Amino acid sequence: MSHPLTRRGFLGLTGGAGVAALLAMAGCGDDSAASSDTVRILVPGTVPPGWEAVSRKVNEKLKADTGLSLDVQFINWQNYQQQALLKFTSGETFDTALQALWLNMAQLQQDGALADLTAEVDKHQNLRATLDDRLIKANRWDGRLWGIPQVNSAGRCQHFAVRQDLADKLGFGEITDYDTLERFFYAVKQRGGGTIPYGHNSASGYLGVVPYPAGMFNVQSWQDPHTIARAFTGRGMFFVFAKDAAQTRASRPVPFWDDPGVLDAMRRVRRYYLDGIINKDATNADVDTVKSQWAAGKYAATWAMTDGTTSNVMPALTKAVPGAMVADIIPYGKGLNAKPNQTFQADNLVVVNANGGNVGNAMRLQDWVSVKENHDLLEYGIEGTDWKPVGEDRFEALTQYSSFPGYAVSWRASLERKASYMTESEERVFSWAQDYDNFTVDPFASFVPDNKPVEQQIAAMTTVITQYANPLYYGVVDVDPQLDKLKKAAAAAGVDKLLAEMEKQADAYLAKNA
Amino acid sequence: MSAPPPRRPPGGRLGRWALLLLAAPGVCYFAVFAYLPMAGLVVAFKDFNIREGIFGSPWNGLANFRYFFETGDAPRIVFNTLFLNGLFLAATLAWGLLLALMLNEIRLHLFKRVAQSVVFFPYFVSPIVISVMLQVLLAGVGGEGGALNDALSVLHLPEVSWYTEPGAWPWILTVVKVWQLGGYLSVIFLAAITAISPDVYEAGVIDGASRARMAFSITVPLLRPTAAVLLVLGIGRIFYGDFATIYAIVGDNGVLFSTTDVIDTYVFRALRSLGDFGTTAAVGLFQGLVGLVFVTAALIIQRRYARESSLL
Repeated sequence: MSHPLTRRGFLGLTGGAGVAALLAMAGCGDDSAASSDTVRILVPGTVPPGWEAVSRKVNEKLKADTGLSLDVQFINWQNYQQQALLKFTSGETFDTALQALWLNMAQLQQDGALADLTAEVDKHQNLRATLDDRLIKANRWDGRLWGIPQVNSAGRCQHFAVRQDLADKLGFGEITDYDTLERFFYAVKQRGGGTIPYGHNSASGYLGVVPYPAGMFNVQSWQDPHTIARAFTGRGMFFVFAKDAAQTRASRPVPFWDDPGVLDAMRRVRRYYLDGIINKDATNADVDTVKSQWAAGKYAATWAMTDGTTSNVMPALTKAVPGAMVADIIPYGKGLNAKPNQTFQADNLVVVNANGGNVGNAMRLQDWVSVKENHDLLEYGIEGTDWKPVGEDRFEALTQYSSFPGYAVSWRASLERKASYMTESEERVFSWAQDYDNFTVDPFASFVPDNKPVEQQIAAMTTVITQYANPLYYGVVDVDPQLDKLKKAAAAAGVDKLLAEMEKQADAYLAKNA
Repeated sequence: MSAPPPRRPPGGRLGRWALLLLAAPGVCYFAVFAYLPMAGLVVAFKDFNIREGIFGSPWNGLANFRYFFETGDAPRIVFNTLFLNGLFLAATLAWGLLLALMLNEIRLHLFKRVAQSVVFFPYFVSPIVISVMLQVLLAGVGGEGGALNDALSVLHLPEVSWYTEPGAWPWILTVVKVWQLGGYLSVIFLAAITAISPDVYEAGVIDGASRARMAFSITVPLLRPTAAVLLVLGIGRIFYGDFATIYAIVGDNGVLFSTTDVIDTYVFRALRSLGDFGTTAAVGLFQGLVGLVFVTAALIIQRRYARESSLL
């Protein structure tokens, strides 16, 4: 006897079959990472040209040296933060990922999603040899190490990349202080033939005003770069600690708007906006757009970091503007003798997934890339094809492979090569940044606030900052009325509770690390 | 009088199985991608912890919902979502209909085809490209002018810093949506126009109606069922902000949030900057439930007042 299939029966049957098939596929999926010899790593960015050949070569050598093979998953920068977080939350199988405080590292650590690497570094000689003691110490949170710092310099100091050819043309010569730099900006505006004096992007407006230890337009912080503003999460609500916190053992934080240097910087940025010194589309101009316009010669200056990458613009810039030259300008009051504060906390760390990641394999890979030959192969590509050595510590790129995101797996300060076209100015700054003795260890160096007690206030303040503080960071609104709105919204979001919690935790840290 | 025998698909039992087989991929798709993920909605009622995952994290009742409504952001983003989508829906439907009427009047076949393709093209333009085009139009390179400001200067009118003027953005976004979707909707209306019997128009001609008269007295009324279907579909999604377009254009420009921040952009930002799955899932669930209420209400109203064009 046959039973005709009803509509409901059909829907249930096919829907159930679909779900069952999905579950079966998930069950058949490759979940062997924990036991296999493949190291799966998540890195931000796009696949570099020539990756296939380099990957083959890397895997041949890695297999021969360690028995491991490498599987790199590139995730576009635009989506990296969310996708990496989702991979942790969904229990996907992978070994390592790039994380940092400005991504979701604090949350991942507090939720137990990261493997403890405290005892691992000493087991791997090559890795240990490339990591400075101070770097390891500063990157320990409450004594524990949750990620391998990826750094190519000791100190990371934001500063200005300036078109030196324009400075020469306008009669400025070498710029060393902020006043001269400001005069240069105005001279470019008046006599620069349409060049915009400074190219600002929408990704990190706070870097313009908040001491970090210097804010780009925070003149007081250039004179006295000995305070680093802190937030519970990367780009949220910043607090500025008392300058004498280390001596008094009292952190006495204030909201960033109560710091005189920050307030002055916000007024200055507003003036720059009105005077056309910074690009008026900064609130919407993404990093890549500003970079490409900088390379096309549209700006006279832009943001730079002491990571040896400022000069990477030179081939494109000199093509667009023949004769162009770039200088790295760090306008500290005391020049390169300023000894600015640094936490030495890396902006990039390789973390190991506690939920299925293989710590042993991940650390063996980190050890393997700490050998010069292996480091060069992964970071610069195949010698003779993708690059050729220039002298002892330089390289000339022959292909575009050097766009490989080494900061997510293989950056080691002592192994990095400088680009052959690195400018003299950048070489001076980069060399300075590689010496730990040129910096002062910040009294809150390895302080990482615990978000748990004030999670709701942090979330509420993040929205407040985006809505009310961002416009101040870019100078698109009048300072005083906007500050009133910001303070009112911050009070409603619970900034007082945040402040009290920050002070409590910072004071406890000072007491413990005296 | 006996009831009519049930309709059987052509081809008997084999035909029925063929139809079921045809429907199977669709049913599987919805089961896997629409219904199965709903299990994850439990995270809206949990104090989410990454290590313990969605199902292992402890329950926290309605705390995530309470938090969302207590932040003070809820009224603003709910209003923006409804207001912007209401504007988009009304403007795109009206423009699509008008465009269809105009295209229908073109007699030159080749020109009609070209015009149809041209108006349809913006539908395929990515939101990122639209955002760049808009930036060039409204702000220019480096925010120094822009084509619209250049035009204002020619007319001796003051330049406007568009990206710091929140009041203008509901209308700017509406123009973008009309540009993007007007052509697409016009093709749907055009398809419906071709289904109108030529006899009706012949009757109009005999009665001495002009082309314009026939367009507004014959075509528009006969397009009502199509418009009603599109309206119901639109209302069903009225609680969903157009994330791709709005986020690509506005991004994290806080100055414009007061008029452009919608539920989807809010959720995305909260998830990106805080990894707060609990609250974002709570907002998503709220959005889904209110969306369900809207679509049900629209269907009930439609069944009552325009039963012939009702979807269900």
